[in-house]
Amino acid sequence: MLPRRVERHISLGMLVMCAVFCFAFAHPVAAQAGEPPYFAIRNARIVPVSGPVLENGTVVMSRGLIAAVGREVAIPAEALIIEGQGLTVYPGLIDAFTDLGLAIAPTSNPSPLSGAEAQRTATISRGPEDRPGTTPWRDAADELQPDDKRFESWRNAGFTTAVTAPHGGIFPGQAAIIDLAGERAGNLVVGAAVAVPVTLEPNRGFGNFPDSLMGVLAYVHQVWLDASWYSQADTMYEKHPTGLARPAYDRSGKVLARALRDNELVLIPANTRNQLLRAVDFPERWKVRGAIYGAQQAYELADSIGAKKLPVLVNLKWPEKEKDADPAAEESLRTLRFRDRAPSSPAALAKAGVKFAFYSGGITVPKDILKAAKKSIDAGLAPEVALRAFTLSAAEIFGVITRLGSIEPGKIANLVVTDGNLFEEKTKIKMVFVDGRKFEVHEPPTPENPPKGDISGKWKLSYTTPDGPEEGIADLAMESDGSVSGSFTSKRGDATISSGSVSGDKFNFKISLAIEGEPTEITLSGTFEKNMMKGTIRVSGLVIDFTGSRPGSSRSAAEN
Amino acid sequence: MKNPVGHSKVSRTGFLCTIVNLKFSIFFFCLLPLVCISIAAPAPSSYAITGARLFTLTGAAQENATIVIRDGKIAGIGAQLEIPTGAQIIDAKGLEVYPGLFDPITQMGLSEISAVPSTVDSSETGLYNPDVVAATAVNPESAHIPVTRADGITDVVAVPGSSGMDFSGTLSVIGGQASAIHLAGWTSEELVTRRSVAMVVNWPRMATRSFDFATFNIRQRPFSEVKSEYEKRVTELTDWFERARHYAQAVEKGSRNNFERDLKLEALVPVIRGQLPVLVFANRSREIKSAIEFCDKQKLKMILAGGTEAYKVKDLLKSKNIPVILRPTLRLPDEEDDPYDRAMTEPAELSSAGIKFAFASFDNSFARRLGQFAGAAVAYGLSHDEALKGVTLYPAQIFGLDKELGTLEVGKTANVIVTSGDPLEVTTEVRYVFIKGQLTSLANRHLQLYQHYSQRP
Amino acid sequence: MSHTVYSNRLPLLALVFAGLLAILPAHTAMSADAAPVILIQNATLLTVSHGTIEHGSILIRDGKIAAVGQNLNAPAGAQIIDAAGQYVMPGIIDCHSHIAIDGSVNEGSISVSSMVNVVDVLNPDDIDIYRDLAGGVTSANILHGSANSIGGQTTVIKLRWGQSAGKLPFEGAVPGIKFALGENPKRSNFRAGSDQVRRYPATRMGVEETIRGAFSEAVDYKKLWDDYNRRGSAGEKNILRPRRDLRLEPLVEVLEGRRYVHAHCYRADEILMLLRVAKEFGFKIRTFQHVLEGYKVANELSAAGSGASTFSDWWAYKMEAYDAIPYNAALMTRKGVIVSINSDDAEEATHLNQEAAKSIKYGGLSELEALKLITLNPAIQLGIDNRVGSIDVGKDADLVLYNHHPLSVYAVAQKTIIDGRVYFERPREIASRAELAKEKKALIDKLKAAEKKPEAKPNETKPEKPTPPLRPLSYLHPRIASAAKVSWVVEMFSAYAPGEPGGAQ
Repeated sequence: MLPRRVERHISLGMLVMCAVFCFAFAHPVAAQAGEPPYFAIRNARIVPVSGPVLENGTVVMSRGLIAAVGREVAIPAEALIIEGQGLTVYPGLIDAFTDLGLAIAPTSNPSPLSGAEAQRTATISRGPEDRPGTTPWRDAADELQPDDKRFESWRNAGFTTAVTAPHGGIFPGQAAIIDLAGERAGNLVVGAAVAVPVTLEPNRGFGNFPDSLMGVLAYVHQVWLDASWYSQADTMYEKHPTGLARPAYDRSGKVLARALRDNELVLIPANTRNQLLRAVDFPERWKVRGAIYGAQQAYELADSIGAKKLPVLVNLKWPEKEKDADPAAEESLRTLRFRDRAPSSPAALAKAGVKFAFYSGGITVPKDILKAAKKSIDAGLAPEVALRAFTLSAAEIFGVITRLGSIEPGKIANLVVTDGNLFEEKTKIKMVFVDGRKFEVHEPPTPENPPKGDISGKWKLSYTTPDGPEEGIADLAMESDGSVSGSFTSKRGDATISSGSVSGDKFNFKISLAIEGEPTEITLSGTFEKNMMKGTIRVSGLVIDFTGSRPGSSRSAAEN
Repeated sequence: MKNPVGHSKVSRTGFLCTIVNLKFSIFFFCLLPLVCISIAAPAPSSYAITGARLFTLTGAAQENATIVIRDGKIAGIGAQLEIPTGAQIIDAKGLEVYPGLFDPITQMGLSEISAVPSTVDSSETGLYNPDVVAATAVNPESAHIPVTRADGITDVVAVPGSSGMDFSGTLSVIGGQASAIHLAGWTSEELVTRRSVAMVVNWPRMATRSFDFATFNIRQRPFSEVKSEYEKRVTELTDWFERARHYAQAVEKGSRNNFERDLKLEALVPVIRGQLPVLVFANRSREIKSAIEFCDKQKLKMILAGGTEAYKVKDLLKSKNIPVILRPTLRLPDEEDDPYDRAMTEPAELSSAGIKFAFASFDNSFARRLGQFAGAAVAYGLSHDEALKGVTLYPAQIFGLDKELGTLEVGKTANVIVTSGDPLEVTTEVRYVFIKGQLTSLANRHLQLYQHYSQRP
Repeated sequence: MSHTVYSNRLPLLALVFAGLLAILPAHTAMSADAAPVILIQNATLLTVSHGTIEHGSILIRDGKIAAVGQNLNAPAGAQIIDAAGQYVMPGIIDCHSHIAIDGSVNEGSISVSSMVNVVDVLNPDDIDIYRDLAGGVTSANILHGSANSIGGQTTVIKLRWGQSAGKLPFEGAVPGIKFALGENPKRSNFRAGSDQVRRYPATRMGVEETIRGAFSEAVDYKKLWDDYNRRGSAGEKNILRPRRDLRLEPLVEVLEGRRYVHAHCYRADEILMLLRVAKEFGFKIRTFQHVLEGYKVANELSAAGSGASTFSDWWAYKMEAYDAIPYNAALMTRKGVIVSINSDDAEEATHLNQEAAKSIKYGGLSELEALKLITLNPAIQLGIDNRVGSIDVGKDADLVLYNHHPLSVYAVAQKTIIDGRVYFERPREIASRAELAKEKKALIDKLKAAEKKPEAKPNETKPEKPTPPLRPLSYLHPRIASAAKVSWVVEMFSAYAPGEPGGAQ
């Protein structure tokens, strides 16, 4: 494995010091209050990932770190003992590419600006020199919001750690590795500036360079060339400024030159066969250390990825049939084959000896992440390799193997405790430990009564906020047990329902939206009957009534 | 009535003579922005085309036959015919004679240069324009008319408010009245064969994916949204026809004093009475089915235009006896998984299902490809005879013009072409064109520019 | 300074190949081993270079034409194609195509977009490759759009359907660059709002200056590197390597004759303008594309040795196409210009044989001259006539078999062969349709069944990465314009926007 910058800069010893430091000054309010920072889980099935499974083993945690693991391990007196019979302990899962903890940018801009109007409001990029969508100096570690509600739901699904990166643009900013609990942003960060994610999305609309895929590719190439040149030019100028033309100050160039020097990992998007074929050549062309993210069609060419020794982050949001698609529109055979075979990509990568980790991609209900991984297991991936992809492999790819990814003494005490095999559907996650702090998993409230009707469908909600009358669309999908998922769209942005349920004729669901830049939790609850609903919206102490209708038939559509 | 472009001595040297004559006029043409050829000599009123292979489309080809044209009509067809005195004789030995080709959907005369808005009159704004009539805007000086004529097309239907490039991305639902025109005449009125042959209806589409002209991107919309918009449009359309029915009843039985005249509803009256067919543009099978159901319910006489997926609703089209005017065969399939030759095999498929269909360009500058469109269908399984009828007789029948046009029969309007061979073949030359019994010039903007620049040393 | 875009990926391809077979929309089941020995017999051979051979045979070995004649014996083990009643002609070469491009055909945001390269975004899955192959096309010049005075870098491909992007480029073909003159780069067809900032250039005068400005920069850039290399080889230390500029590098290649210029143009005046500019900077225009008024300046084109690649009969779709005439190809041919008929459109490419045939009617070209418009002439224009364009011993076995004379509307391609491999075969294609439909139905049922399971509940609507790629815009345009051929729309798809408010270049 290549040496990692973060590893070089922060030794394990320093880390222990840090942990102690943190505990000395932080109040662990999010964890169960009053508990000591010492735990021992005994007589549990322990899956350390780095070594063989221990039946009836014990793991001891002390001040945020794993102190000991084994069959015959002395449990210190101060430790709170958790009886582990029937429980399995895994290293905390790592979601290898997310935007957790970062302000949720509205996923779409529903403002009805016409093309020309939208243009005037946006800065127009007229060429590579304008550095469009290029903000590599942003570091997720600097922008963390420790109260992101998603931390809890991710923890509840077994995740203790995530790689998180800013959104937006071609070089949106650098990724950080964070633990999913902590009062202050600084407590969360395990490593800052661990990778430079790149996107290859052209600018939409007119006249904004680059507005084509080939334009983006040329641009990214030029940026890397410039970074490398800037590094030389700047050094040379610093040494002998007299008589030399001054190289223009280039903020991106400066940051990326440092990333190049530090051999920082560059994350390259590639999902389909063509994209992957292209992407495997980019690291050589850009002269960077690369990793691929996406890789859902890797089943077509895992070997060529393996030949280039590129690590891969696999997007677990498997391709799906378009929602609310025209029922008469058939998917092409190519699309169908892709949907059918995408989950077999991890097995193909494993067979080709490719190092890979998993990430949630577009999955917003975190309990679906493991279900998506299960599909890959069903498609031939060995369960232990799947587990490794969520733990040690991710730690390896991001260069934090000495701190995360396995249950070994000295590593950060990130654990997930279940009542069975992680990938089995009936298995429940009982608790997780993040930095040695225990978090009980709160099962989403199971509906008291069976649902009286199916709330699934597209609901149009009308309500009046202090700003005046507004409308929103709740697109709901209910399962037979009454749990509800879906999305809510209004002019304030798009949001995914984080938890929701129907009990009898009552419903309740929560969304999180960026309001004035702050992620804010909003609860909608009420009753429904047939195609009508009514209830209240609760947001930041405000209670707003709403009514809703489900335009299911043409008659009701005409009424609208 | 005289056609503007007769020739007096054409019989001696035929095509070459045309070229020579034109050389003298070339400087005039270049001075004029649009081609207008005026040769003052009086045109004869009768012609005899002799020695040709005659394709009447009413039976087998006749070898070495003569066709006599008099006073605008076909006066005789046969081997031994008396040639009227004074008739201009055209020796067509080795040549072939066909009815003039008929392109049933064009924007002829309505659009000159599609990207220059000031030259385009093809689509009115607003969603419901039943009262507008294409013939009103057909420009008799359009350079497209002689260019198209030179390839043997004598008749077209000019269709308002239908396809063509429309940057706003919105087409009207009722586009206006289509007009049959023939491609020679001094004035727009002289061009008209029949002012109103069909009411254009662009059947509302349920397209989740569309091109957004505001952002120049593909716009994806949820189906439910698209569907409710579609349903709204269909409800509106129903409403229009129901109001027209009510209006017709008022006109028929009520007192004029009790209601005000409504030009739009008035225009729809012949439609709801079944006197004027609706030319319904629809391509997907779902939309075609809805349109048929709609027309059935409203008791409208329907012609389907477009019909990309007409093959999927063959039985329905057949059982309702609905004719189809097909989009150009030279087009790619809509879906990736469609067979590559889908568009070319469709005519043969419709033909064997007994559905009446015609070929059309749906265009202006590509109208001269009409024969090629039919020929491509022959290459992929359609009989040659059917293909030929699909560009002559069938379009005439579809618009109720077959008493006058579509075949070579005594008494019909003499829209006749004389060619070097098969008119569906891309290399075939058209030697003579008769429109309304007048020998018509083959000169056009293209030929003149060619001749002019051939002179450059 | 030049850099090849992709390193050798032969081993990679070998690995990928097996996987590809599975995803071909069937049609061809290709084998990864060496091209077979094939003998085509009893055909009418339209050699283009040496007349028509009745009852002729072609022997294909190692992907090349090994023998051509009337009485060839089949070597042992050769695969025999009995082509009785069929016509064999050289594979059609389309000198202007936009197929097989992933994403937008234009980087339309700037007046000089020479830094982009279609080679970077070749899409071997574009179904239009297969459709054009079924129309007898074996090679195509894949061009950037025409939104910019100087557009992106271009490449010649072979239509090797089923192979990966890296295998599409025509080996050894000189790469190109797209220029565009007239309405598209000056964007007069875009109905801009009144408040829209006009991008430079907005006139044909500005187009000229944009090109001159860029080449003036390129000359300086070349000098910068030449100086650096000179000083470096003289042993000088502490000299800063100049910054690599991906925009100027291809222009230097043009100056050095290592990259062909393919210039989209319409009007006679702009053709003469570009010839003047090229002369000023000492480079050649390899082809003028569309060149619809080429017939007006055929003498000058002929004298400059530039090729002309035009349409058969398109006209009147915009002002600068109003003087377009279907006699253009014939008239230029007669004045000594090397002329080809191109498609600019995936559909038009499926019947280029018919389009070439029209020059017999419009302008009286001979059959041989008409055939050359889509075979040998485009090969010459693209500098690949040593490899393709006629049926000659030693040339690549790129052939198409028709059931009728290819200059007829009734001709349907039966087989298309590239490098001695049959990439399209009509009977096999037809036979495969039922099988594909069956597979599709099975997959739909399987996936539907999986969705029914409660755990496969759909979750959120917008994936972070677009997974199944959208069809590129070029795919959409024929549908927008329903009947009309509106390829110019594609060309100006990105010829729209505000950008540089002045001559920033």
